[in-house]
Amino acid sequence: MTRQLQRPFLFLTTWLILAAGLCAADDQVKSSAHQEKDLLAVLRSDAPAGEKAITCKLLAIHGTSEAVADLAPLLSNPQLASWARIALEAIPGPEADEALRKATDSLDGLLLVGVINSIGVRRDAASVEALTKHLKNNDVESASAAAVALGRIGTDEAAQSLRQALQAGPVPVRSAVAEGCVLCAERRLAEGKSAEAAELYDEVRKAEVPKQRLLEATRGAILARGDEGLPLLLEQLRSEDAKFFQIALSTAREVQGGKVDQTLAEELARAQPERAALIVQAMADRPETVVLAAVLNAAEQGPKPVRLSAIDALRRVGDDSCLGSLLTIATDADAELAQAAKATLAEMPGDQVDSQIVDLLPQADGKIYPVLIGLIGQRRIEATDTLLKSLTHSNPAVRRAALAALGETVDLKGLPVLIAQVVTPKNSEDAAAAQQALKTAAVRMPDREACATALANAVQRTPSATTKASLLEILGAVGGTKALATVGAAAKTSNPELQDVSTRLLGEWMTADAAPVLLDLAKTAPGEKYQVRAMRGYIRIARQFVLPEQQRIEMCQQVLDAARPAEQKLVFDVLKRYPSVAMLKLAIRALQEPELKDDANAAVLTIAQSVASKGVDVREHLAQAGLEPVKVEIVKAEYGAGSTQKDVTAVLQKYAGNLPLIVLPSAGYNANFGDPLPDSVKQLKVQYRLNGKPGEATFAEDAAILLPAPK
Amino acid sequence: MSNKRTQIPRRKFLKTAVSAAGAAVTAPMFIPGSALGLNGAVPPSERIIVGGIGIGNRGTYDLGCFLEQKDVQFAAVCDIKQARRTAVKKMVDGKYGTDGCAIYRDFRELLDRNDIDAVLIATGPNWHATAAMTAAKAGKDMYCEKPVTKNIAQSLILAETMRRTGRVFQAGTQRRNLPHFAFACALARTGKLGKIKRVYAHPMGMQAMMSGWLPAEPEPDPEIVDWNMYLGPASWRPFNAKLLDGFNFEKGGGLVGGGVLEWGSHCVDLCQWAVDDCAPPVEYDPPKDGQLVARYENGTELIFRETGWIPLGSCPVRFEGEDGWVEAGDSGKLVLSSPALLAGRTVEEIGGYPATFHVRDFLDCVKTRSQPKGNADAACNAHIVCHAANIALHLGRQVKFDNQTHEFVGDDEANRLRSEALREPWRL
Repeated sequence: MTRQLQRPFLFLTTWLILAAGLCAADDQVKSSAHQEKDLLAVLRSDAPAGEKAITCKLLAIHGTSEAVADLAPLLSNPQLASWARIALEAIPGPEADEALRKATDSLDGLLLVGVINSIGVRRDAASVEALTKHLKNNDVESASAAAVALGRIGTDEAAQSLRQALQAGPVPVRSAVAEGCVLCAERRLAEGKSAEAAELYDEVRKAEVPKQRLLEATRGAILARGDEGLPLLLEQLRSEDAKFFQIALSTAREVQGGKVDQTLAEELARAQPERAALIVQAMADRPETVVLAAVLNAAEQGPKPVRLSAIDALRRVGDDSCLGSLLTIATDADAELAQAAKATLAEMPGDQVDSQIVDLLPQADGKIYPVLIGLIGQRRIEATDTLLKSLTHSNPAVRRAALAALGETVDLKGLPVLIAQVVTPKNSEDAAAAQQALKTAAVRMPDREACATALANAVQRTPSATTKASLLEILGAVGGTKALATVGAAAKTSNPELQDVSTRLLGEWMTADAAPVLLDLAKTAPGEKYQVRAMRGYIRIARQFVLPEQQRIEMCQQVLDAARPAEQKLVFDVLKRYPSVAMLKLAIRALQEPELKDDANAAVLTIAQSVASKGVDVREHLAQAGLEPVKVEIVKAEYGAGSTQKDVTAVLQKYAGNLPLIVLPSAGYNANFGDPLPDSVKQLKVQYRLNGKPGEATFAEDAAILLPAPK
Repeated sequence: MSNKRTQIPRRKFLKTAVSAAGAAVTAPMFIPGSALGLNGAVPPSERIIVGGIGIGNRGTYDLGCFLEQKDVQFAAVCDIKQARRTAVKKMVDGKYGTDGCAIYRDFRELLDRNDIDAVLIATGPNWHATAAMTAAKAGKDMYCEKPVTKNIAQSLILAETMRRTGRVFQAGTQRRNLPHFAFACALARTGKLGKIKRVYAHPMGMQAMMSGWLPAEPEPDPEIVDWNMYLGPASWRPFNAKLLDGFNFEKGGGLVGGGVLEWGSHCVDLCQWAVDDCAPPVEYDPPKDGQLVARYENGTELIFRETGWIPLGSCPVRFEGEDGWVEAGDSGKLVLSSPALLAGRTVEEIGGYPATFHVRDFLDCVKTRSQPKGNADAACNAHIVCHAANIALHLGRQVKFDNQTHEFVGDDEANRLRSEALREPWRL
């Protein structure tokens, strides 16, 4: 290793040792002192700049006043100045302050800006004089840095310098001077000197400074005055300048006490609609003191944009006192208003709201009745008895709304009510709504098995095959042990409708415990159609579900032993998806079946390549399959149709291994080669050599690229 | 570094607004376009004019979310890489069918434009806080990717600056606007789980990534890659292409950072929401047996742990109370100690995406001047937790944090890690 190359390595090692040393340090002071000595030795050496840079960073943790003398000279080094300031900003004590202060005498440009910024971070009050001098620096960046640093220092002397500069300083620096003034004002406000703060904010408001500084000062001037700042807030709410209106909106949310809520309420009544719509949102962001009556009034009447915003605001601050008005709006002829009211009613806080909705239902009529029923469902209010009465209503829309609400609200005890509506509907036109309601209720029952038991009992009791089928559909959505057993039993009945729905449901079952049920059906279901469907469902579980490896292997074995060739071929996808030596053995065994040979051969090669890539020696297995590793050379490969051919030789060469199967990284030829002729049927033509023997093959689009042995 | 935050009263509405929005699973609060007199259509004069700063991989995803919004006009992009500038311009102009997206190399020129209302900041984390505060002082609202800050001082100054400037700030903590995470946090926050005992966050690697000083390579033409602007507030070092990985460069300043900050800015943020966005924990233990335990003032533990999660996707969180628990992850799913906690809803009904909710939340707040879910105060607290945990991790000992002074108690070394000087001319 050359010295130049060794350096970064040594430096990194040093850093790691120092960092690790921290972890073991029992005596921090002693440890830091020791580490500081080592770090200073680096700074004093001819170490490269990079090493010194990170040393500065470590001195930020371990450095003391001892380190300042070594760090200070780096402040004039353009490469290392900010590294040195990392340490100097962090090292406590007057020595670091003094070093930074002294550097302001000699530096200029960016380096001076950096030092001034660090003085601001350290809030070195002794630097006010030096910084004040730099307020007049011809370099705008330096003068601006001084202004902000003075703001951070925030003493009376600093504030005085800034005030003078605000009036008489160079215009390009005024923005930073105003920033400094606002920082000073903030400090005074934090110290409880509100009047002084307000005075400073006002000076900025009157100065010729960028608008953003005026906005900041305006906000501060309002907050510093408390309730007495409300006229100023009002002035901004009425400002023709949108930015001042915006700062009023955000500041209104910050003002303490309840008077501002009254101010906002009054302004809401007189503001232009586009502003009132926003004022009402600010009101709603003060939920503890909001003048609710004003928000409600704005929701009830006035320009539509304001009404919509107020209705939305009630979603957060409304209570039961708003219920009547919102219900009226919810039946308004204006669909947008009605929808907004319904959305607010569905979410408006308060237990009282729930009980009042239930209380209102018996007396309600007309359009409000279905709204109330809908709200019972949306708010999940327990009101089964009331809803049951609605099931006998003459209006079908009301009955359906009641069923939907029951679906959202009944518990396990109430489930039989909905089962009864499905098994023995009083109105046939409500059947679909009842089934949907029962499904909605069933899938959210905390005790899934108890729910399934209730549904299974209903399947037993009802004579109607169609109703049984509907209940089985719901059982399929519920899932669980009881549901599985019930659907499995239904699949074995002699009723074709039940066989059909049950085998379909089992084929889509979402848990792996359906596998033995499906395997049994694959062997014993009445009729080949359902046996095939069951076997495919069984393979689906093997292919898609998270299973113990041994279970998946056994399932694949079962398919190869019991299925028809069409299904047996499907299992090769599973073998390839979960490649292992055991899966390889299964594929090799399948080679003995003439109808499976081609697919099994492809699977063997795919699995072997995958397993071999993980370091497993598969030569013995391949020999067993009559296959040996071969030297594969792709001579030429073209993909396309007719005269449009794309040369894909390089792609195939890239993925060719030591088996006559080439596995591409993406599914489909187009994804790997690009599409040379969209919307046309294409072919892949390959010229190759296997162990030096030339061969040629043509593959249909997306076929497995298994190179035949040359003759 | 200042030890005291300015005492302008913390905006109480923030807490309430967040609680109200998270109490039920709802779409983010919005005012219908018609409420603003727009009637669904958005005339150009009413659109929010947005500029992009540092639009790489994540930024391109965010940009897509912005471009979907009818009330957004994306007007300009700034990137220190020419390839990114031109790629984003092509994407934006392609969307609008115009040639109107302006390009900049220096984001200060973009901020100088008076017509731009808001910016999307998706630089690397080295720039996030500095760019955000520069944008705020220029009068722009901003959606800023995370991790937002590099240290505790930056976190505090970020919150102060957003307050002082009256700007709307949304951290890219989009999970605050994903319904299933919001539901889980609401369960914890509203007492449905009983008194909260432990909240868990996934740090995904408790290691800091050092972005040190690599051997110099020929510096590219600044028009192609502006190395000086790439370094920005990070201390100078020679150009080396390996350092151009902006996603990791100077994350947390290098000595501290890594997964605790990268993922903590999401999952710790959710834990903070679950405990009602209270002040950060006051004690942080060093890691032991793969866990780093922090304790809130009321004794609730915040536990960073690598393993033991129910497989619910990346960024998992778990909240445990005396009466129950809930766990959620990026799969959009929830697992609960009792289905009764779903209060009649199903997981599917509650769950999932899209992440555009978070962008929509931001844009709505730009109009209303309310505070979005990932506001600066929330981001400040969550990032302080991550930085303090990292400091305990780095020092290998317990550290105690005082939320009044924002200092570590009796630990000079820990206190010195609270801030770091910026390269000239940058300041916060």
